Amino acid sequence: MNAIRKRDTQGFFCSPLGYVYIGAFLAIMNLYFFATCVLTSSSDTSSVFSNMLIVFLFLMPILTMRLFSEEYKQGTDRLLLTAPVSVWDIVGGKFLAAMGVLVRALLWTIPWLVVILIFGLPSWPAILGCYVAVLCASAVFAAMGMFLSSLTESQLIAAVLSFALFLGLYVADMLSYSMDSSSILGSIFNWLSIFTRYDTFMSGQFSFGNLIYFISLTGLFLYLTARVIERRRM
Amino acid sequence: MIQVTGLTRRYGSALAVSDLSFSVKEGEIVGFLGPNGAGKSTTMNMITGCLRPTAGTVTLGSYDIDTDADQARKMIGYLPENPPLYPDMTVDEYLGFVYSLKKCTIPQEEHLEQVCKMSGLTDVRERIIRNLSKGYRQRVGLAQALVGDPKVLILDEPTVGLDPKQIIEIRETIRSLGQKHTIILSSHILPEVQAVCDRILVIHHGKIVADGTSAELSERMEGAEQLDMTIEGETEAVLRTLRAVPGVTDANIIREDGKKSVYRITAETNTDIRHNVFDALSQSHMAILSMQQVELSLEDIFLELTETASVAPEAEPVPQEDPEKPKKKRRLFGRKRDGDE
Repeated sequence: MNAIRKRDTQGFFCSPLGYVYIGAFLAIMNLYFFATCVLTSSSDTSSVFSNMLIVFLFLMPILTMRLFSEEYKQGTDRLLLTAPVSVWDIVGGKFLAAMGVLVRALLWTIPWLVVILIFGLPSWPAILGCYVAVLCASAVFAAMGMFLSSLTESQLIAAVLSFALFLGLYVADMLSYSMDSSSILGSIFNWLSIFTRYDTFMSGQFSFGNLIYFISLTGLFLYLTARVIERRRM
Repeated sequence: MIQVTGLTRRYGSALAVSDLSFSVKEGEIVGFLGPNGAGKSTTMNMITGCLRPTAGTVTLGSYDIDTDADQARKMIGYLPENPPLYPDMTVDEYLGFVYSLKKCTIPQEEHLEQVCKMSGLTDVRERIIRNLSKGYRQRVGLAQALVGDPKVLILDEPTVGLDPKQIIEIRETIRSLGQKHTIILSSHILPEVQAVCDRILVIHHGKIVADGTSAELSERMEGAEQLDMTIEGETEAVLRTLRAVPGVTDANIIREDGKKSVYRITAETNTDIRHNVFDALSQSHMAILSMQQVELSLEDIFLELTETASVAPEAEPVPQEDPEKPKKKRRLFGRKRDGDE
């Protein structure tokens, strides 16, 4: 698993992709931090974090589209499939590589905390909650994007599908507000509401239920990806 | 070392490989020979565990590729038709990745150095694979298969895209590897298989149509004795004389050139007609300018085998010219099946 994680991480940072990715993320988020925290002299980072998931909604497909599609296209999936590694090693390695890029991007937000620490009073539990939540929720997106990438040889199709799925989830989330939660459709939308669940964390409530929801959804898509890879041998 | 039993693979309703059984001994170099789409790549993919067979089993050493996958895969080095390379890595980085992917235990530094030496990569180790020529990429593919010193090497068309000098080098490399490894390689180039392999399996339409050394395969075809002769004389008269010779079944002109045409004479099986032909021609005062026995090359054997296989597998080949033959040949070689990429 480690070999594949290393190789994929290297894949991100050998090309400009990894740097452009982190750069774009930081450009948008720093602007946002400046507007919401610095200009208003607020030490409340929750609104910054709450918008971070929207930014990931746009950026995640670019990160995950290449994970499997590129291997199929180059024929390198043969190398992985004939190596003495399990399907879980492959899927896990790739997932961790994608999460590694996310973590690197998030590490660059630490200067915010320094700024807040110097000029205000940070609420550490709330900030920690924000980081945990953004990691868990973006893990769901990463797993979904990776799953879609495992379905197609074309990176473009993988990216478009992931983007459509994430945007669909976002719309479903908005619809769930205006719908009666007792109706079937309403309850489905309510259950799907990744963004609402995410915002629960931002408002300072730490919910184990939602955490488990994120983790199991990630697990589900990792499992589905593993099945797709297994299926390619059929 | 390798035991394949009843291997079958279907793609939808198309049968790519059907009921293939053979075994390969340790240290043997076996060549899969067949036209495009014969099922060579599909078979190799199944042996290496890239593709699950519809039916049948593959055993490497004592490990089944399906049930003891990890152990069996450790024994294999596989070079697919398109080498599985990451273009953004350097050769060293790439081989290092393969080394850790295969969970090797041999000391890394020395091992990779040796692998690079064997595949002629020592000078390009620091270069990015994207910038390498096709020949070098093919070598990186071969090096990748050699990492971990696997007992079995499966090489799918290892010399494709190389220039003649590189082809000779790769062949020599494969030959020398044969001392330590069991090798299966595929090709549709006959001289290559002839030059490198101890044993040849001719595969056609997913079936084995012949199995043996190249000498054995030639022997199988010895039913047809043919002579090519340049004879001076009127063509009609010469043909009449030739056909009257006892033991001759057929005589044809293969190159007409005034009074010195070239004829091909087909004799009955296992008869030497040279004396009779000489006597008959000298009696009619027709000068023999040259006489040569036609030896069937592996190429002819291959064509014969793949031609007749579709009618009746293992049948005694018919040496006569079939009017439909040229058309059929084109169809066989022009068609691509989904078994072969």
